[in-house]
Amino acid sequence: MPKVIALALSVVLLVAIPPKLHSTNVFPYNYKIEELANGLRIVSIPLPNPNIISYYTVVRSGSRNEVEPGKSGFAHFFEHIMFKGTKQVPRASYDEFLTQLGAGTNGYTTDDFTCYFVVFAGRENLEKVVKTEADRFINLYYTEEMIKTEAPVIEGEYYSSASNPDRRLFELLRDTAFEKHSYKHTTLGFLKDIQDMPNQYEYSLLYKKRFYAPDNTILLVVGDFDHAQLMDLAKKYYGDWEKSNYILQTPSEPPQTRLKRAHYDWPSKTLARLTLGYHGPAYSDITLDKAALDLLAEISFSPSSPLYQKLVIQEQKCLSLGANFEDTRDPSLLTLSAIVKNDDDLPYVEGEILKELERIKNEPAPVRKLADIKANMKYSMANALGTTDGVAGTLAFYINLTADPGTLNKLFDLYEKVAPQDIQDMAKKYFKPVNSTIITLTGGKAK
Amino acid sequence: MRHPMKTYLLGIFLIGISVFFASCSGKVNPNKLTSELLPLDGNPLTSFRVLVKIGSANDPSGKEGLCQLAWSLLANGGSRTMTIKEITEKFYPMAASLSLSIDKEMAVFSGTIHKDNLEKYYAIFKEMLLDPGFREDDFNRLKTNQFNFLEKTLVNNMDEQFGKEILNLMLYEGHPYGHHEAGTVESVRGLTLDDVKAFYKEHFVQGNIVIGLAGGYPADFPAGIMADFGKLPEGFTPRLSLPPAHLPQALEFVIADKKTPATAISMGFPVSLTKANKDFFALWIAGSHFGEHRQHVSLLFQKIREERGQNYGDYAYIEHFIQGRDKFPAPNHARPQQYFSIWIRPLANSNRHFVIRQALRELKRLVEEGISQERFQLVRTYLLNYTKLYAQTLGERLGWQMDSHNYGHQDFLADVQNVLRKLTRDDVNRTIKKYLNFNNVSIAVITQDAEALKNDLVANTPSPIKYANPNMPKAVLDEDVVIQEFPLDVKADKVRIAPAAEFFQKTGLPAK
Repeated sequence: MPKVIALALSVVLLVAIPPKLHSTNVFPYNYKIEELANGLRIVSIPLPNPNIISYYTVVRSGSRNEVEPGKSGFAHFFEHIMFKGTKQVPRASYDEFLTQLGAGTNGYTTDDFTCYFVVFAGRENLEKVVKTEADRFINLYYTEEMIKTEAPVIEGEYYSSASNPDRRLFELLRDTAFEKHSYKHTTLGFLKDIQDMPNQYEYSLLYKKRFYAPDNTILLVVGDFDHAQLMDLAKKYYGDWEKSNYILQTPSEPPQTRLKRAHYDWPSKTLARLTLGYHGPAYSDITLDKAALDLLAEISFSPSSPLYQKLVIQEQKCLSLGANFEDTRDPSLLTLSAIVKNDDDLPYVEGEILKELERIKNEPAPVRKLADIKANMKYSMANALGTTDGVAGTLAFYINLTADPGTLNKLFDLYEKVAPQDIQDMAKKYFKPVNSTIITLTGGKAK
Repeated sequence: MRHPMKTYLLGIFLIGISVFFASCSGKVNPNKLTSELLPLDGNPLTSFRVLVKIGSANDPSGKEGLCQLAWSLLANGGSRTMTIKEITEKFYPMAASLSLSIDKEMAVFSGTIHKDNLEKYYAIFKEMLLDPGFREDDFNRLKTNQFNFLEKTLVNNMDEQFGKEILNLMLYEGHPYGHHEAGTVESVRGLTLDDVKAFYKEHFVQGNIVIGLAGGYPADFPAGIMADFGKLPEGFTPRLSLPPAHLPQALEFVIADKKTPATAISMGFPVSLTKANKDFFALWIAGSHFGEHRQHVSLLFQKIREERGQNYGDYAYIEHFIQGRDKFPAPNHARPQQYFSIWIRPLANSNRHFVIRQALRELKRLVEEGISQERFQLVRTYLLNYTKLYAQTLGERLGWQMDSHNYGHQDFLADVQNVLRKLTRDDVNRTIKKYLNFNNVSIAVITQDAEALKNDLVANTPSPIKYANPNMPKAVLDEDVVIQEFPLDVKADKVRIAPAAEFFQKTGLPAK
């Protein structure tokens, strides 16, 4: 999760049954994976807590899939369209169904996937939910007029964060750091593309055909239900959903060859911002790169790190300091960010961050520190998995990456294997000046 | 690594729970500590929730922001024997934290910990609250953060919150609620470490504190905590005698003028009921029907966003609302004085006048026509089910238990199930008439060209809007014709305009 630049990723946590910690398996629950003939994968985790079910549909299409010019933000836009109903269950009826159910429900879009969830009480409601959700994914129906009315809502969503400098900073970082890959834009998309969304009805049909298909979707169900019953219902209601067979080609990002810089002038007063982005590796539960870098982030930039203590607590130059090394399907950015109290201190804080990156290349991490980090990760994950919806929300993210919940335990096994030398090696490999993009933001005079 | 959601509190076993309320057994001595316990055998987690019945309304005049600074220094500063650096290092391998939330009349220190670390965590938690370090450098750091928030962040980086805070200033001018929890630029500048120490000494006393504990802690654990916190001085701070909130006598506008592509709007008025009143449940159905927070059931959401695509969302509340986990209300923001509000999320400046008209017209229709039988039944069913999802984590369950007792319920969420089933549509419509109105509303607007908006409002200038969709449904367009000329009785002397940068400099609204 982004620590400093937080994209709103609304993950709900609900209900009960905290896991018992095992030394090896950080994900302690039994799960089953089955696949229908049409490619729809179903991950099922029945839990012995009464009454609550988290029903997640993970479509493995996010802003990464927006590879064509002018289509940035489309995955997120389509998330909105998915609430327009079907001929059998029009939008008003769908809303009424969810209202009667009293469900906690919504969708969210990330770089790599779009997730829809319905969290509800009462296992007797499962069939109704499967039937209604299957209907809307298979038989979604909307008109060009609906597209034109919904598009300005996205502009409104953009405006909701228009006064947030972190949003602008993040947009500028992505746009500057990437040349070709679709991670160049954020999930909301470029404003000019948002403003053109009313004209994108035809493209929306193509988008749906390509990506809203069983072979690009995972159903994740956690909570109070019976696995066999779920599978019967899934076969009954999702069985006729047609495969897409579409294979997405994301553009390769060419290696960066020079340090890039950009600056954003905020129109009124604000604390200054500094962010450094380095091109990093994609998520992997096999190769060590990303796992070693995750540990580096904690060693060098967590609140317990010497640099954080120096800049935030002792010298009080920064309001915050943090690392955000995202787990993504394609290589993305390793981001270091600070909110700086005085504009004049921006060069100093940048220098301190760069010094820390050099230090970590040359000094092995203390063994005790690595043990602390592993304990922190273990308890953090246990906390996150402490509720039914915590399990669903966390897993939705990981199954988007590999389509396999087992990846979580594999990742933690990798953390165990990382040695101090690996961290130094990865620091040398990725934290090179020519691989970096540095963005600053400072405020002007308030009106 | 995707960092798990460390700040969320955790799980519960729903079976085999035995609950007892120490605070409900026998007569309570107001000078002594009380507790709220929720033991859940076998749960590997324990959630702490220390509620202090002191909030920003207890700030001394001229020292607004002192309560937040004092409690922040406990939660984010060192103890007498440990610096915050040492505490951070000790918390880190436990993935532990001590969080603070603060409201007008209460604050909560909270944390959740795995049983592996319970004793180690509590030893630090206890010391932070009972034996604070009050170091000058911690004080300076937190004071500067509070100052920067008021001077830079609130008015320049978060317009939605800015709008809500202007509404608060309008409703509570000259009232103990009438300043932001962080204070004002002027007041925070003057705060000293001695102020903080004196505030702690005066208010961090037994009778003001409720010790909350939920989870699988050992049976003898609460007694130890009660003994530790029982060393605090006895005594309590008398509840504030609050003056009435400001009842608007017209449509009263305050417009913060700034360069912005989007207009943020919050509006409302005081209501004379809380969860302690019988009428609360009926008015709650009306509020949920009219504007349930971030849910499709909201009428405002349907009319403004879904039908017309004006913005991201539009909601209404019958009491002060803070979003907690997901979109559910966060507990422990209880207040004896409440207000009704409407939150219009940012929309294109060109449509601001139309949407102000639309929201007030819908409010008028609600008051005059009430709720239909069909909607009454639907929304009641919705709340009966939706509220089952409210209290799921340990912290939430404990928080709702504390709020229940604060408002005089044994179990508020259980009462929801009982009371809502007995209500009728007439009950709801009666409370709408009794508590809501559409003529006397405080309206906070953040926009650019404020004078132009003022002129349009006062002159009732028609405010047609354009749609990207050339084939908007006829019913919507027909209604638009009515909305765009819907008369608002806005007097020029009831519209105050001030540059955004002038807010939160001093207590109250910027000078007229």
